[in-house]
This record gives sequence, structure tokens and C-alpha cells, in this order.
Amino acid sequence: MPAEILMPQQSDTMTEGTVVRWLKKEGDKVSAGEIIAEIETDKATMEMEAFESGTLAHIAAPEGTKVPVGQAIGFLATKNEKVEDVKKKVAGGAKSAAPSAGGAAAPPLASSRKQEGGGGTATLTAPAAPGAGESRPRKQGAPVDTNETGGALGFKDASVGEMHEPEVVVAHGATREQIDTAPVKGEKNNGDGRIKVTPLARRIAAENGIDVAQLEGSGPGGRIVKQDVLDAVEQGVGKAGESPQKAEVRSLRPDAPAQVPVLAQRMSAGAVETIPLSKMRGVIAKRLQQSKQQIPHFYETVDIDVDDLTKLRARLNEQFAAQKIKLSLGDLVAKAIATSLEEHPALNAHFNGTEITRFGDVNLGMAVALPEGLIVPVLRGVNHMGFREIRVRSADLVERARAQKLKQDELSGATFTVSNLGMFGVREFSAIINPPEVGILAIGGAEKRAVVRNDQIVARTMMTVTLSCDHRAVDGATAAEFLGTLRKLLEEPAMMLA
Amino acid sequence: MMRQIQLRQALREAMTEEMERDENVFLMGEEVAEYNGAYKVSEGMLAKFGPRRVFDTPISEAAFSGLGIGAATLGLRPIIEFMSWSFTLVCLDQIVNNAANIRYMSGGQFKCPVTFRGGNGIAHQLGATHSHRVESIYARIPGLIVVQPSTPYEAKGLLKASIRSDDPVIFLENEKMLNETGNVPEEEFTIPIGVANVEREGADVTVVSYGRALQRVVRPAVDALVKDHDIDVELIDLRTLRPLDKQTIIDSLKKTNRCVIVDEDYGYCGMGSGIMQQIQKPVFDYLDAPIEYVHSDEIPVPFNHYLEEAMMPSVDRIVASVREVTYR
Repeated sequence: MPAEILMPQQSDTMTEGTVVRWLKKEGDKVSAGEIIAEIETDKATMEMEAFESGTLAHIAAPEGTKVPVGQAIGFLATKNEKVEDVKKKVAGGAKSAAPSAGGAAAPPLASSRKQEGGGGTATLTAPAAPGAGESRPRKQGAPVDTNETGGALGFKDASVGEMHEPEVVVAHGATREQIDTAPVKGEKNNGDGRIKVTPLARRIAAENGIDVAQLEGSGPGGRIVKQDVLDAVEQGVGKAGESPQKAEVRSLRPDAPAQVPVLAQRMSAGAVETIPLSKMRGVIAKRLQQSKQQIPHFYETVDIDVDDLTKLRARLNEQFAAQKIKLSLGDLVAKAIATSLEEHPALNAHFNGTEITRFGDVNLGMAVALPEGLIVPVLRGVNHMGFREIRVRSADLVERARAQKLKQDELSGATFTVSNLGMFGVREFSAIINPPEVGILAIGGAEKRAVVRNDQIVARTMMTVTLSCDHRAVDGATAAEFLGTLRKLLEEPAMMLA
Repeated sequence: MMRQIQLRQALREAMTEEMERDENVFLMGEEVAEYNGAYKVSEGMLAKFGPRRVFDTPISEAAFSGLGIGAATLGLRPIIEFMSWSFTLVCLDQIVNNAANIRYMSGGQFKCPVTFRGGNGIAHQLGATHSHRVESIYARIPGLIVVQPSTPYEAKGLLKASIRSDDPVIFLENEKMLNETGNVPEEEFTIPIGVANVEREGADVTVVSYGRALQRVVRPAVDALVKDHDIDVELIDLRTLRPLDKQTIIDSLKKTNRCVIVDEDYGYCGMGSGIMQQIQKPVFDYLDAPIEYVHSDEIPVPFNHYLEEAMMPSVDRIVASVREVTYR
């Protein structure tokens, strides 16, 4: 029996997925547990593992195709089966997975292959034309559904295939090794801050003045190999110092030096362009609309004097310099939010229309802008963390978010969300609640302002935050008390120790 | 003039010619004389050279290997046949401590021109204790020369060169290869020790192997890669494992940028691991993929035919590894 490779359901809300990339060709041997394709779900691009060993006989859903959950995207010839026979047998039935009308148009995330280079200064490939104007972070606080359990990935259970087909497993030295190392395999591609490039490719690139950061690798895990560099030389792309069609998106961390993204290509006069929604954009649109239509939002804004906080941050960073840890103001604010939420659990809650669930731990959703759209990785148990841990863990999450290498469970389970646009010079804004959470805090930039102290006008570093609340679950006074605590902690940061 | 002979006969010719050439050369081992050899390699040699130069030993590898080393230090050129290299684990002391070190420790006063030969590695259903691949055990010892032929031609030319070597030679045959036939010139020839053979020139990937693996699976795999996958393989037959002909491998890798090493040893501390250690630095900037190593599974060698087959490198494993490093 040929084994079907089905579109996995990777979250409760996922009804269809897009095959972004096949890592195997028809005729390639596949071992259980090997990554065979990348699937774009409604939230992220996920790696998909083979659940059985065999030979990829037929690709029913080519790259870029939208396929409903549970439908075959490919077929494996298992042992004793001829690839041609399987292909012939299944090719007819597989038509059902052909691109749906809108599906073919949905552009696969152009950067999905390339973002090995995480890091604070990751160079991302801008989406192809349709998304070109979107390399700038847009309105934050847009809710992305986090009410998903995720992980319904039926393909993880690789052991089944292995046990049934030991001879296939031992028949391929190479792939067998990959199974041996399967537990760490996830990390391999999880944006460890490096561009993967073979020594030879690196040398040829250097000789030809090619910037490997601008290339897409065709090797395993996006490894840039000799042929990729030779192609770039031939096509005259990727010259060091240029960045054709590529937008530099610098870290959104406030401490990163501000760099204006390379401007998207201007449209020519009179041009009209229609951009089909990517999966991600579609989900963002739907969720935002739902939240704003169904949740009675109210907003409360306070100005906070963060003069002492910025000094504290400077002192801590001097101490941490040797460890190469640089706290952002956001890290200190995250800690204060967690402490405040512990005191005001009414805000650290979910509301499902019939009941309110409060949580003892603070799982902080952090809105991160990607060229493709907003994503909200979740920093779990932030109330148990010190500044340093918050810095390290959030930096890791953000980096992997940019590399689209977050696991499903890192994108769900937030109890409260924070959105920070301070680094863009935004003074204040209000965010849209990310249901089923009941609050979201929008953080503006810290700046020197003239304020009155003891009847004198003095310059102080001020920051404005706006809390959005779901009035079905939270009342105005409760929100105000929360903001009061938060302000106290940020103005007297020593209180965070109390 | 070429003719087709068995590898067994090639070995016999090498020993016979060297014994005719040099009266100091003699052959001893278990069953080499009266029984004409456990594997009939020495068939007819007792009749030809008499019991003074071809003689049987007791079943004690430690005793007769030591005897050979002693004879070598006193000026003779013994050929010591082991029924299986697996049995030499009981005479490691003689070979590693004495044969390998005597020249160095005597300050060059003694040399040790002894040739140890016999079946090495996995033959067929000989079980875990008779299937050891000893090449990496000996190839790591300074003072020893380690040779492993993969054809009758190499068997003859390398054995003759080994017998003429003034240093102890570990000459690794394989029981399953004795029946292999191949072209061997009628004229006298030797093959230099320490020189690898580029058996097939190619542009896409270098496959490095030696001995039985080469004959059993590597050559068929290379044929399949060239014919079915259009991958232009450069195939290197090492012939000598110590001293390793690094330069030939390095030159090849600089051209192909990719490498797959195949042997029947275990991977960890195996022969291929040692080869990788020797070449990785000089070729680092020329590599377009990690060096792959196809080796036997790290388990005791099973007696069962199918399990024994399954633990060894196969054509499929080699093809898969080559395709992996060539991204094809």
C-alpha cells in the first residue's frame, strides 16, 4: 500500500495549509522522522516530518498549493513497491489536491527558506512583489489567535514507520544518521544566528564579492552550497554592498540601532496592484475584525516617569556587559507587568463568554512584526524570571519568530499580551485585544518631556502606556489599579524586589 | 600479457616468486604446509620449497608471530599466515609492542622485515569473534605498514612489495575475495606501498574505499551512480592504509569538493574516521558538503546471514550518501 502524506492539522483552527516547499523530490528516499516539506499554517511555517519510510513517489500538491487538512499532498512508495507504479496509481486521485482557485495565488512566504540568519540584524528576504510594501512593521497589538492547543501533528510518531521497516532504515546510511540525531534536529534549523554555507561556497563567494547573506541556500536546512553561489555569480545578484529586492529589517529591540528599512520599490505612476491575502494576513484580518466587533474595548492611558528606570537599566547593563547581555527597557517593563499581573489576577485571565479563568502564572505574549504579518510568541512563566532571563528568552523567541521557526506551543497560551512601538518613535497607541485574553498593554516610546515637579518644569524621561481591556471581564477601576501598580513599579523600580 | 587468475593464485604467485628471488623468505602458519593452506593459498608450496621454508605451526598466534619477528630481526624475511586476523588479538603484544617498535627502540640496529597476512574482516557467517576488521587497530600504530588489496592484481603486486619491505607489514586479505578473478600480468611487477590508485576519474564527488568493501559494494554503487543518477564519481582505492596517501585524496577533493568514505569498519574510531582526521583541515575550504562516512553498524557481527548483510555498507547506503553530499 502506498503511504499517503496528509496535510497535518497543526492547530485547532487550521482548516487548510499551504505547501511552501518540498525538501524531497519525486524519487527521493525518505526515512521516517525526516523533514520532507514545509507547511504554512494559519500562523507559522512548520516543518513536516515523514511518518513512514519509503520513496517519494508522487507529489500531489506542488509548492504554493493550498490543501485542506487531511488531504493527501503526496504519496510514498513503501518497500516492494515500484515508484512508477505508485505514481501511476495515485496520480489520478491526487488531482483533488490541485491548487484551489485562490490558493495558487497565495504567495509562499518568500523568506521562509532563508531565515537561518536570525540574529539581531537578520537580513530577511522581502516578500515578492505583493508584499513588498509591507516590510515595515505595521500596527501592533493586532490579535493573532492564541486560543489554540496546537501540536496535533500526527507525523511526530516516527517510531511506527521505523519499527515496521527496519531494512529500509538500515538501507540508507545517510538518512539513518539523521534519525539518530533526530532529537536535536529541530534545533539545527531554529535560527541559531548563523548563515549556513559550506566552506567552499563561502570561499567562492568571497572571491567573487558575493554576500552570502543575500543568497538562498538549496542544501539541507537552507545550506548555501557551491551551486547557489555560482548561480548568483552568473545572474549577477547578491553582490556585497547591494541588496537588490531585499529589505534589511533590523531588530525591533529598542536597544538595537535604528535602521530605516530599505524602501520598498515604488510603484510606477498609474499602476494598480491587487495583492491576494497570504494565509497569515487572512488570519490576522479575520481575528482582528472578530475582536473589535465582539469585544467591548475600553482604554486607559497613563504617563510613567521612567527616569530612574532608565538609569537602573544603564547600571545593570554595565554589570552585564561582560556577559554580553544588554537589557532593553522593554525587558524591565515586562518584569513589572508580570509583577503587577500577579497582584491583579483579574487582568491575567481568559474570558470565553460564560466564565473567566484566572492564571497564577504570567505567560506574556509579545507582538512581533514580521514582513509577512504580526506574530505573537509567548514568554512563559515570566513572573518567575529575572531581567536577564527575560532578555535571553525573549531575544531567542523573537529571533526564531523572524526565522519562522517557532513551535506551535510557543505561539499559544498567552495570558496577557504586550505590544511595543516605542522604538519607532510612537508616543502612544491603543492595541486590540487578543482573545480570549482580557487585556493588552500598548507601550509607547520613552522620551524626555517637560513635566511639572514641585511646581517646577523639569525634563524627565517619560513613557506612555495604554491598557486595552475587555469590559465584559474587567471594570475600569480594576484596570486603573493595575496601571497604578505598574506605574509604581516602574517609577520606583526597587519595588520590583519587594 | 594479461591473464585472468584468482586472487588466491595471485597471492601464491607473489610468495613463490619472492621465495625464488630471495632465499631468506619463508612461509609459516597454521596448516600452510601439509594441508596446503586452510584456504589453499599455499597449495603446492611445500612440495616446491620443502619443509625448511614452508612449515606448519602450533595453534598459537602469539608464539609463531613472535618467532617470525625474531627471525626478521636476525635477517630473514618471514611471511606469517594467520588463518584470520581476528585471531591476532591474542598476539597484539608481539605485533604492536615488538614488531612495530624494535627498529625505533634499537636505534635502527634491528629492522623487522616480516609480512603478516591472512583474512581480515567480515567474510560470511563466521560470527562475532571471527569477523573483526582490524585495519584501524593496526593502522594507528607508528612502525607498521598496513596494506589491503581489492583485486588479484593488487594482491600480487602489493604482497611482493610487502615482502621486500624492511618494516613489518600488516597484509589484509578477505576470505570471500580469494575466489575473485581478475587481470594480472604474467610479467613480474610490484605495486608501490603508500600510493593510492585513482580507479575512476570524476568531477562530482570523491568516493574513498579499499579492500573488500570496494569489491563488494563500492564498485557496483559507483556504476549505479554514474548510470542511473548521472553523478560523475571519482573513485579512489587506497591500497595502503598506513602510510596513508593523503595527497591523492586531497587533490581529488579539491577538484570534486565532496567526499564519501566507505569501509566495513565501525564508524567510531574506524578507518574512515582516521582518514577524515587526516584530511579535513587541508580540504576544509574546498568542501561543499560535510564528508560522509558509510561504515558498518556498531554491533557485534551477527551470525545470521541477513543480519550480517544488513549491518554492512550496502549499495543503497552508498548511493544515498553520495546523493546527499552532491545535493542530487
